[in-house]
Amino acid sequence: MGSTTLVLVIVIIAAVSFDFTNGFHDTANAMATSIATGALKPMVAVLISAALNFLGAFISISVATTIAKGIVPSSATAHLDGLFVVEAALIGAMIWNLITWYFTIPSSSSHALIGGLIGAAFASVGSSAVSVHGIVQKVVAPGILAIFVCGIVAFLATTAAYMLIRTLGQEEARRGYRYGQIGSASLVSLAHGTNDAQKTMGVVALALISTGHLSAVHFTVPIWVKLICATAMALGTATGGWRIINTMGNRITTVESPQGFSAESSSAATILASSYYGYPLSTTQVVSGGVMGAGLGKRGGVVHWPVVGQMVVAWVITLPSAALVGAAAWNISDLFGTNSDVGAIVIAVLAGVVAFGLYTLSKRNRVTAQDLDRTNVTPEIEAERAQAASPALA
Amino acid sequence: MFVLASPIVDWNAMWKICVVTLAAGIGVVVAFGFVLLGLKIADRARADGTHNAGSRLGGLTLSIVCGVICVAVVVIGVYAMAKKPSSKPAKAKSALVIPAGPRMKLVASSR
Repeated sequence: MGSTTLVLVIVIIAAVSFDFTNGFHDTANAMATSIATGALKPMVAVLISAALNFLGAFISISVATTIAKGIVPSSATAHLDGLFVVEAALIGAMIWNLITWYFTIPSSSSHALIGGLIGAAFASVGSSAVSVHGIVQKVVAPGILAIFVCGIVAFLATTAAYMLIRTLGQEEARRGYRYGQIGSASLVSLAHGTNDAQKTMGVVALALISTGHLSAVHFTVPIWVKLICATAMALGTATGGWRIINTMGNRITTVESPQGFSAESSSAATILASSYYGYPLSTTQVVSGGVMGAGLGKRGGVVHWPVVGQMVVAWVITLPSAALVGAAAWNISDLFGTNSDVGAIVIAVLAGVVAFGLYTLSKRNRVTAQDLDRTNVTPEIEAERAQAASPALA
Repeated sequence: MFVLASPIVDWNAMWKICVVTLAAGIGVVVAFGFVLLGLKIADRARADGTHNAGSRLGGLTLSIVCGVICVAVVVIGVYAMAKKPSSKPAKAKSALVIPAGPRMKLVASSR
């Protein structure tokens, strides 16, 4: 196996691993509120989400095309250097995903990937490689807007839903909106698959173009690339990501089914509209804004601001932190010589060790599917829980 | 504030997103609420045994119409996913990582 092929294989493995972490990190975006309200059993929810993420990866290839051709010009990575930067970026993003997962904080996988890329490029070329204006325009501004747009819509939708509930009756509404949640959560899952699985497809396609295995002129994503990326995303989603689901579904606010439906519908509308109009917003931040808005939209609803504060801190530091890890990975690789196979292998192995270490640490305070199952929780128990939780966390 | 933010926020896309999100997000929740309400009215008319065909028909009609609206929004959503416009190639001024030097030519930007 030649040097370029070996590095290409390592990059593909890193991309698929990142896709896997993206899957379990972002399951919460679609399914947390459905699980929290007992609309779905946790395992059923993640399996539906996994299937729809898998399906979503095949719906279109526009995101993959954008990454493979639009973001990086076809000639840009026609060097082994480019592959090393992509590998370091993926490792930076993956490790930051795992760190935030360990600390049970929902954060944007896309921002982690961009951060990793910035860090690795910065380490490779220097400060001239990074455009601060681009970061503000493409990452910071959409991040802030996402929370407010979806939050306000979810707030208004929840208020409207509870106005209808006065006529409808609590029990009918609770039951009915649970069914609605299955549909709205499924739409978010599908949208996630079309966006996030394709980001990795784009990265793999980019690596293939740069090594001459794929034509940039007659660009198409090979079926095997689609399959491995969709499968990695689906497998990651199916493993649950219970820690982040717990935060998103239970710790931000106490969610009832009308709130869950409002949050998910608003999130789906925001994600799809922003994506369609070419101003993509972070799914994680959109959904978090939706859950907060839904929490505030119910009269007497409580949002646990300390938890929100932790999330905001994580969002702010995601980009620089992933950049630091990406830069560190590139520098470690570079210690073994420019474009050294050994360097590529060493950083991949180190990433594996860190991932295993975080997984082992997470076992100390595990969150399981059983802990989150609310399908047998009666309204009375739910009310008691909400009452018990509110004074302590408000 | 608006003027200051103009160079970094695509307000043209933003207002469209806000309008569509408001319409779809709130619309679906309200429409779904009316589906439930219509079903309840129809169910109550049936359970009362008063053979109030008007109430029952009205409830069912309300449910069906609002149900169709919800399904239509979902279909439009899936269509929007499938027909997502491709992005324009990156311009250096809006890039996150711009080309610099002969050694590393990687460029990254969003849309």
